[in-house]
Amino acid sequence: MANSGSRDLILQRIREGLKTQVPVPPPMSDEAVIFPPVEDPMARFQQECKANLMELTLTNDAGASAQQIAGILSSLPEGEIYVQDAPFLRQLMQTVATVRTVHWSSEGAPRESAQATISLAEALVAQTGSVFVTAACGGRGISVVAPCHIVFATTSQLVPDLKTALGSATRKGILHNNSFACMISGSSRTADIEKILVQGAHGPVRLAVVLQAGN
Amino acid sequence: MSTGTTPKPGQGAPTPQNAEAHDTGRSAASNARGNLSNAQRFLLDAAEKSVDMVHREIIRKGMDSYDVAHAKGRTRFAFWDAARQRCQEIKREAVNHLDQYLLEFEKNVIAHGGHVFWAATSEEACQYIADLAVKHSVKTVVKSKSMVTEEIHLAGALEKVGCTVWETDLGEYIVQLRNEGPYHIVTPAMHLNRKQIGDLFRDKFDEPNLSDDPQELVAAARRKLRKAFFAAEMGISGANFLVADAGCIAISTNEGNGRLSTGVPRIHVAVTGIEKMIPKLEDLATLWPVLATSGTGQPITTYGSLIGGPRRPGEADGPEEFHVVLVDNGRSSLLASKEEREVLHCIRCGACLNICPVFRHIGGHSYGTPYPGPIGSVLVPRLEGEKFEHLSSASTLCGACTSVCPVKIDLHHHLLENRRDFTEAGHVSAGERFQFKMFKTAMVNPSLYKVGGWFMRKSLRLLYSLGLSGSVLDPLRPWNKGRSTIPLAKQSFRAIWKKELDHGE
Amino acid sequence: MSRKVALFVPCFVDQLLPQVAVDTVTVLRRVGCEVNYFEDQTCCGQPAFNSGFWSESRPCAEHFVSVFKDAEYIVSPSGSCTTMVRNFYPELLKESDALADAREVGQRTFELSEFLVKIMGVTKVGARFPHTVTYHASCHGLRELHLRDEPLQLLRGVEGLKLVDMLRYDECCGFGGTFATKFADISVAMGTSKADNIAVTGAEYVTAIDPSCLMHVQGVLGKRKDKAKTIHLASILASEGKPA
Repeated sequence: MANSGSRDLILQRIREGLKTQVPVPPPMSDEAVIFPPVEDPMARFQQECKANLMELTLTNDAGASAQQIAGILSSLPEGEIYVQDAPFLRQLMQTVATVRTVHWSSEGAPRESAQATISLAEALVAQTGSVFVTAACGGRGISVVAPCHIVFATTSQLVPDLKTALGSATRKGILHNNSFACMISGSSRTADIEKILVQGAHGPVRLAVVLQAGN
Repeated sequence: MSTGTTPKPGQGAPTPQNAEAHDTGRSAASNARGNLSNAQRFLLDAAEKSVDMVHREIIRKGMDSYDVAHAKGRTRFAFWDAARQRCQEIKREAVNHLDQYLLEFEKNVIAHGGHVFWAATSEEACQYIADLAVKHSVKTVVKSKSMVTEEIHLAGALEKVGCTVWETDLGEYIVQLRNEGPYHIVTPAMHLNRKQIGDLFRDKFDEPNLSDDPQELVAAARRKLRKAFFAAEMGISGANFLVADAGCIAISTNEGNGRLSTGVPRIHVAVTGIEKMIPKLEDLATLWPVLATSGTGQPITTYGSLIGGPRRPGEADGPEEFHVVLVDNGRSSLLASKEEREVLHCIRCGACLNICPVFRHIGGHSYGTPYPGPIGSVLVPRLEGEKFEHLSSASTLCGACTSVCPVKIDLHHHLLENRRDFTEAGHVSAGERFQFKMFKTAMVNPSLYKVGGWFMRKSLRLLYSLGLSGSVLDPLRPWNKGRSTIPLAKQSFRAIWKKELDHGE
Repeated sequence: MSRKVALFVPCFVDQLLPQVAVDTVTVLRRVGCEVNYFEDQTCCGQPAFNSGFWSESRPCAEHFVSVFKDAEYIVSPSGSCTTMVRNFYPELLKESDALADAREVGQRTFELSEFLVKIMGVTKVGARFPHTVTYHASCHGLRELHLRDEPLQLLRGVEGLKLVDMLRYDECCGFGGTFATKFADISVAMGTSKADNIAVTGAEYVTAIDPSCLMHVQGVLGKRKDKAKTIHLASILASEGKPA
């Protein structure tokens, strides 16, 4: 290993230091309630998305979803869009009425000039109104490069809380099969100027979720 | 500094000549004085900020809005104190088995195709990263916020090898343009109002028509920085947490600059203290909301990024190389101390800075280190030694910090322990040592104490009757400079007791 | 029920602010306590302790313990001094022969308001103080002794007293012991913020359970010639209206 000198030194220092015994009180019970339980995930998700200033639309079928996506795209300035290359999205995009050029994630990274991106998600989290994406959802840039990020998801993907989402991610080995994942809870923002909240910093200014009933 | 077509951050970027960038946020008085000790500079800077009412008002407004947001944020928890306790347990487990978890983390990152570099000192860390930059002909670096990179003076090291370094966190970018260090670990530019930022941007960006509207200012910064994100060959980030079982770093951000800095350039280097370890991915279910609540009052930050390696085959994009630089720089020395080990539990949320009344009055720059406020006053003297020990004394020990720390670090008692250790190591003036020896002598001898007290009152009364209160002869001069004199009682209580109150009970 | 109280008078109260201790005696006697004052007491040792001079503080603490060893109740009109004895003596005297006695003494040491409310069980002590008063929560009392309500309960039991809330009543006033002189500029700045918050209430008096806070705040108020005056809780409680 290139850096074995310092590595060994640091490990040795740590082990020496840890020889000191420190009192460790018994841990809190696993059953201890930290967050109030999420009674109605769908209602909670809607509530949190609103607070996060996300655009959430519920649809009943692929036709309605396609229409919703087309509607969002038509509201954006001219320019190409970048879409995750997944069979479902290939199918869906055939029915979305748009004249825009579509670049697929299989062709490479999103271009800086893309007006919107469309991706699937790994999961949705009701507790915080979050969209959990991974590199498998079209890569990293897809959820941050363009001013508008559209997520297509189904209600079966909704989980109540972060604990469930992260537990599931661990069991599935998400971070061993993807170099990247991200819990997204709104569009980019900053309060660095006088602590005043400004929507749209370096990432998208709009995050839209099209949530279709079913699987 | 590189020339050519890559964009520059503007004239104010920190140069190797003033590598201690945080010094330049210090007062004009202390900057002008040159050869002062850190303690002397601290006193001057604190004195100047203490009477700066514009500064006080800006900070007060900022902290008031934080207080409201934080109180609201706590209501999202069934039991806020249970959340704190859980976070304390997570960090205690991680730090108490730090070697084991670091090795698990390293193994996983390497399996993902990443590199892990162990840096015993800041120099080693900077050398590694600079060498990497040279090897890959890096000309432009984009940086998202990382206090560790301030601690090790990384920007200066990269500039020495010809890189232009862009701070992309808006607050950090603003202070970089002003040639200052960050004022606060979470909101680096909170000491500035929109007009000051507007003036700065109008000047540095050469956009005289830019207004002071925060939305316009943010858009202007976005325009400038976007070019840098897409031109940079290397992106540098910190890490809020190192996740052992998943073998990834976790970064909590809002702006998207962290996402772009770590996602677009070919090389991503994550610089982190070794103590940022947590055992499991699931631990973030508590830590993410607690960090966000404590830092800004948010339920969770907009982006919770998890990065475990370079882009994998089949992924659409991502860096080709991923390096994690684990920095020790004195941290491991705290493990051996039964009392001080828990200081390594800090998750750098900034809550202690926000509540500290000393911080609110002197501001972040007065401390002269990237880690101001209570946690800085506890940690920096331990890491950097004697020249910062005065920070541990610059506190009333009010305990507000301890009451808000989300991982329940006993901060104000650590300040006391610091004072004890530095005194016992002999780092006190002969004058002070003499004073307390006299103090002890008087206090264990009731007769001596009585006479001493009487003498003190008599001589002060004489001094004041001669109009010498506040003069160089006045032993209470530091008191009397800013306060009216303490009225000197004619009799001590014990005299009154003897005469009037003793009922022989 | 008559309790035997040994008065614990902070050294600077003894020398500079004796009225606080006089008023403490008045109040304790009025609620039926037998009050005694052990003349050999000097200082609890906190100034040395807080500055890191634990070797110099230790003998002071041992002296204190020997003076108060046999007292039934030890009561002090000072949250910070009480904190020193109850919370810090066990740490300071960890290696000392006096440790066991120190623990004992600590358990029997109380700040005045906690003694009245928790031990004597009273919130009305026959006081009359017809003025507007605002309360400053001294840090040691609040965060080390966990006294949040007791002083307020006693203030509400005072006839004629109008209690007004202060913004940031629990923010440190800036005294901090030797901090007040070592870092005088910061100390005064914090004091002026406190004085501003007091002024906004329009109160005639500001009170607290710690005479050190009040000494410092009075210094700032006096320098600015502000309207409000400081008064210790004991002095308010010792005030009586005209007898019927």
